[in-house]
This record gives sequence, C-alpha cells and structure tokens, in this order.
Amino acid sequence: MLTGVHFGGEHFIFFGALLVLGSVLLGMLSTRIGAPLLLVFLGLGMLAGEDGVAQVRFNDFGVAYTFGSIALAVILFDGGLRTKRRTFELAAAPAIGLATIGVLLTAVICGAAAMLFLGFNWIGGFLVGATIASTDAAAVFLLLHQRGTEIKERVNATLEVESGLNDPMAVFLTVIGVELLSFGNRLLGWEIAAQFAVQLFGGAVIGLGGGLALVRLINRIEIAAGLYPIVAAAAALAIFGGAQLVGASGFLAVYLAGLVMGNRKHRAAIVINRFFDGLAWLCQIGMFLMLGLLVTPRFLLADLLPAIGIALVLIFVARPLAVFICLLPFRFSREEVLFISWVGLRGAVPIFLASLPVLAEIPGGFTYFNVAFVVVLTSLVVQGWTVGPAARLLKLELPQQEEASRLDFDALTGYDRDIAGYRVAPNSPALMQKFANLHLPSRVRILSVIREGVVQNRENLERLEPGDYVLCVAPPEQLHALDTLFAARKRVDARADTDEVFGEFTVSGEMQAGQLASFYSFTLNEDERALTLSELMNRRIGHRPGVGDRVSLGLIELIVREVAKGKVKMVGVELEPEDRRVTMAELKRRVQERMRARWLRRGKGRRRGD
Amino acid sequence: MEISELLAPDGVIANLKVTSKKQALRELAQRAARITGLPERAIFDTLLERERLGTTGVGHGIAIPHGKLPGLTRLHGLFARLEQPVDFDSIDEIPVDLIFVLLAPEGAGADHLKALARVSRLLRDRGICEKMRGTDNPDALFALLTEPAASNAA
Repeated sequence: MLTGVHFGGEHFIFFGALLVLGSVLLGMLSTRIGAPLLLVFLGLGMLAGEDGVAQVRFNDFGVAYTFGSIALAVILFDGGLRTKRRTFELAAAPAIGLATIGVLLTAVICGAAAMLFLGFNWIGGFLVGATIASTDAAAVFLLLHQRGTEIKERVNATLEVESGLNDPMAVFLTVIGVELLSFGNRLLGWEIAAQFAVQLFGGAVIGLGGGLALVRLINRIEIAAGLYPIVAAAAALAIFGGAQLVGASGFLAVYLAGLVMGNRKHRAAIVINRFFDGLAWLCQIGMFLMLGLLVTPRFLLADLLPAIGIALVLIFVARPLAVFICLLPFRFSREEVLFISWVGLRGAVPIFLASLPVLAEIPGGFTYFNVAFVVVLTSLVVQGWTVGPAARLLKLELPQQEEASRLDFDALTGYDRDIAGYRVAPNSPALMQKFANLHLPSRVRILSVIREGVVQNRENLERLEPGDYVLCVAPPEQLHALDTLFAARKRVDARADTDEVFGEFTVSGEMQAGQLASFYSFTLNEDERALTLSELMNRRIGHRPGVGDRVSLGLIELIVREVAKGKVKMVGVELEPEDRRVTMAELKRRVQERMRARWLRRGKGRRRGD
Repeated sequence: MEISELLAPDGVIANLKVTSKKQALRELAQRAARITGLPERAIFDTLLERERLGTTGVGHGIAIPHGKLPGLTRLHGLFARLEQPVDFDSIDEIPVDLIFVLLAPEGAGADHLKALARVSRLLRDRGICEKMRGTDNPDALFALLTEPAASNAA
C-alpha cells in the first residue's frame, strides 16, 4: 500500500498523470454501462483520496479554489465557443429567466429544506441553497452527447444556454450568503443591489468587449499556428481574472467572450477549437479528480441524511417548480417542462462554490461542502443515469444524424470558403449517383478524389467508391449539406425513425400555406392563406421555431424540420398525428413496459434497440 | 382502409421505362386517365403542382405523388415499378424506382389522408419493397401490394 504519499516533485507528477490516464480509460468503460462520465472522475478522485486506496492527503481549499476557478473559466469559454449563435438566440429569453429567477427560486426552496433538515438559520440555509442552485454546463452536455441523444432543438438550446449563464448568479448568491454570515446583517439592501448590477452588467460588457477585442487581435497578428490557441487561452483567463478583479462576474464574461469568438470568423479557428476541446476535457477531469481528493468521505457521513434530503428536495421540488414558473411565458409543452426539470444536473460548480464557506472560515463551513458534495453525487447518479430514457419516455428525441467523417482545414483568412475532406461512407447518397452528375450544393467544388492513396483522374471517374477521400471547397453554410452527401444514410434501425418524427412528406417552408391547405384539407382564414408556411408556423408556434416544433392544422400536423436564419426551411407533414401528450398513466405504463422488456432481455443476452 | 379498396390490377405497371421524373409522372397520368376517364392533362398538372410544393420522394427509392381532382368519385391508386431508377429530388437524394400515385376526389378529407398514410406505411416496409423490386410480374406486384394489413402492420 502506498501510504504517506505527499504531494511534491516526482510523486505528484507520476501519480497525477496516472490518475488522469486512469480517468480516461475508466471513462471509456463507463460509457459502455451508461454511467455518467463525471461520476467516474469524481469517484476515482475519492478512491485516490485519504479514505481510499492511495490515501493521498489533499486539504488545501485555497489551491482547490484557484485551480477550480481556472478550470471553470476554461470550461465556460469552451462552452461559449461551441454555442452557435442560432442556439443562443433560440433560447436566450427562457434561458435568462432560468439563469436568474430560476436560480434564486431554487436557492430559496433548497434553503428552506436546509433550515428544516440541518437546523440552520435562514442565512445559513440560503447559503446552502445558493451553492447548489446552478446546473452544470459540462455535465448536461456531456450526458446528452455521450448518449448520442438528439433532443428537440429548443429544449436542447434552453438547457445549453441556461447552464452557460447560470453560474454567475449562483456565484453571486453564494458570495452574498458568505458575506452575510461573516459580517452579520450590516450589509445593506442597496449595496447588494449595486453589487448585483456591477456583476451582471460589468460581466456582460467585459465579456462582449473582450471577445471582440480578442477576435481582432487574433486576426491582426502573424504568429506560429500553435501559438494562436495560447493567445486565446491567455486572453480568456485575462478576461475572467480582470472582470473578477473589478467586481464584475468573470464567469459571465468568459462565457460571453467565448460565444462572441465562436461566432465570428477568425484565423486559426480549427486549431483553437481543437485545443480548447482538449483543454476543457483536461480541466473537467482535473477539477473532478481534485474535488474527489478534497473531500474526506468519512466526514460526509455526519451530514449524509440531511444532505440526501436536500438533494431530493432539489430534484423533485425546487428544480421542477423553478422551471415551471420561469417557463410559463414561453409556451413549452408539459413534456418539455418535465424534461428540462429532470436535466437540472449538478456538476463541479456546487462543490467548488461550497469551498467558499470553508475558505471564509465560517463556523461549520465543512457542512456546506459536505452537503454540496452529496447533492452533486446524488444528482449525477439519479439524473445523470436517466437522461436518455427520460427523453425517450417524453418523446422529445429526434432521429440521430449519422456523423460524417469530415476533416476541416484552415482556409486563408479573408476567403469565405472552407476546405473540407471527406471519407465517403459505405451506403452514402453520393454512391448512388454518377460522379459526373453528383448533386453538389451550390458554390461547392470538388478539388480532388483520392482512392487508395492515388489521386484519381476526375474526367474518367465513373462513380465514387466507399473509402474514397474527397477534397472540397465549400462555403461554411454548405458543409452540413455535404455531410449528408458523404455520410452513411440514417440507420434503418434508428430508434426514432425519421418518418415517425418528421411525418410522411416534406415540403418547403417558402410555399404558400393556402396551397398546402387545399392538398391536405385544413382551413385557414384569408390572410393566413397568403402567408408562407414559414410565416404561418412562426405565428402559430409563438416563439422562434426550433427543429421538432409542431403545429396542428385540421387533421394533420406540420413539423419544423430545418431552420435557417429564423425561418423554417423544411416542413414535415404528418398525416395521422398520434396524441403526443403523455399522460401520467401512460408514462407509468411505459416505464413498466421498459423495465419488463429490459428484464426479459437480460435473460436472452444483450441486444441493441427496443 | 385497405390498399385493395384503392388499387385495381390494371393500376399496376410492372416495368415502366422512363428516364426522368416528369416522364414518369406523365406515363402515370396517362394510365390514370384511362382508368378514371378524366383528362390526362388535368391529372398531370395536379401531380406536378404537388411536386412544386416539395418532392413526394419520401426516401429509400420510393415516391408517393398525390393530389385532388374535381370530377373523381372515389379514391384511385396506381403503382409503377420502374425499370431504371430516376432522380426524383428525394429527401435522401436516392433515385426512385417504386411509385405509388394516389388521386382523391375534390371533397375527400379524412379518407384521403388516411389512405395516404396507409400507402406510406405499406411502402415503409422494407421487406415488401425488396420483394417488389425483385419481380416484374404484375400479378405478383398486385398481390404484394394488397396483402392484408395484418401481415405488414409492423
């Protein structure tokens, strides 16, 4: 047994590296059994910790807080980089509601539970609530993507943007709670309000401004390709740290800066994105390992029962209630509200925030930490394990798009087209057409076709073959169409077949609604007949349309299939819409059915699909 | 609604030789005109008008052109198996070789939609489609298309 390993020099490097390696390898296994990846990292950290096998002692909350801040800043910046402008616009309003009022409501309700279960006064209770009030961006998206689950677009977007935006609010409430506990009630109401304003507005201004400045800087300087991501990372941390120094929210600033940068054309975009992909992973693993190390499981026991009580209140009362209230004005269906409530996953942030009371040396500070830890663990186990089935039960899944194997290259700056390489998938639509008649999206040109390492003469090429490499120049907005051309067609056995989700037929969103009405026997009033389908659906849906949104017309239903620039491009027509509202009885029946099916399957050995 | 209520044996073309979507629709309109007694031009125009709204090529090599016609007294179906697949602007861009045309009276509402859904469900059965691709015997095709719903409900 490796007793008495102290951090320092070679020990630190060797065991630290082993831990990271172990995390990745174990993580791979965990996806097989569907366990949430983050749980593995956290568990491994605990296993290495002082009550585990390696018995590493790590109790420095100050170091943990600093490293946690850096890691969070990187993760949030990366989250911003990946959030498409359209996603943000689609979900900004509901997400902002959830990220502010929602967080406050959650904190208050959980605070009441903490008063009840822990016997805290209201400030203490509120502080407990505040630490666990925000959802975790990384946890949510890792889970959704890890399962390859595609969720209705607006639901997905709301969860994504919410989790990017709600950390500042939770941080703010936690800081207020700590200040109240440290300085008593000397803190004045208007002081809190002023702080709040500086946090949010300052954070927004610094983030947006900093993001724009960073894009400019990167487009201006000529340096080695490998240095661009370093510039971006340093700038992101500077934006975070700078904002924090002047009392603004660095968490908000760094997310917004990422959002700006990810949606502007800039040099070295691919290198920077790849770099941050890796760096965010490392931060994710590092942060969970560290928090796992930081906790002393033995001490958790004392607070275990009340903490589980608070976790259950959070999952079953606070989150659903907050979501329900915040989403009231936005016309989400009941199933969507239920799903958004269920995916209120907690990740590293609560544990990180709960180290603040310890650092501030608040009496009983460790209780906050322990409670947050148990809440996160419970949330990862209960909610994390069930995201996929929940989406299926509530019928919010969209058919999965087959990933095309695409290689991106950095094109010259100032040139508005990208260069992309594809490996032609067996069974892809491109194979069904003669090479000379290949249906290429507009402004796309094929530069070269490489077969078994040999560049082909395109004049004599009859047809593409699976495994060929095709090199194209294409405007960025056409890359998606190219993906479909070269990727394998949608899996026939995909759980949610396209027909089931998008209906029998497809029509263009630019068509006149009146024309469609006569074909499918629904009635519209005079001015509705003159609208395009896109306009009609926009009007009926009542918010920006997202893929999967439905409009009922007479006996049929129209389904948003593709959106571009706020307009519905492609519309699915479902002739016999089933009742998609899920009643409680139906839900129960389906859960039982699934359990029975799983039980039976276990006897026959593993089989995919249901 | 059963396919046998829509489709008669003379509505099945086992080996249609065409080279384009338009030509396929024209041939089918011609056959439909013979069966229904309505002018070929009107049928062709109706089908074409529907294609302008968006292709009826639903993917996997299948198309279901359809429309409503004044003067029709009941639902009429036609089926064609093409000798060579033709480009139909389908969603998945796969050329089409199985076409089911459905024509409905002007006033048909729910019946039309139900029949259309029924046809779509039938042609979603990949097993049946493969069998239909494998034969150019009109009687065999008719039998495959009109098999009772129970056997292909899945």
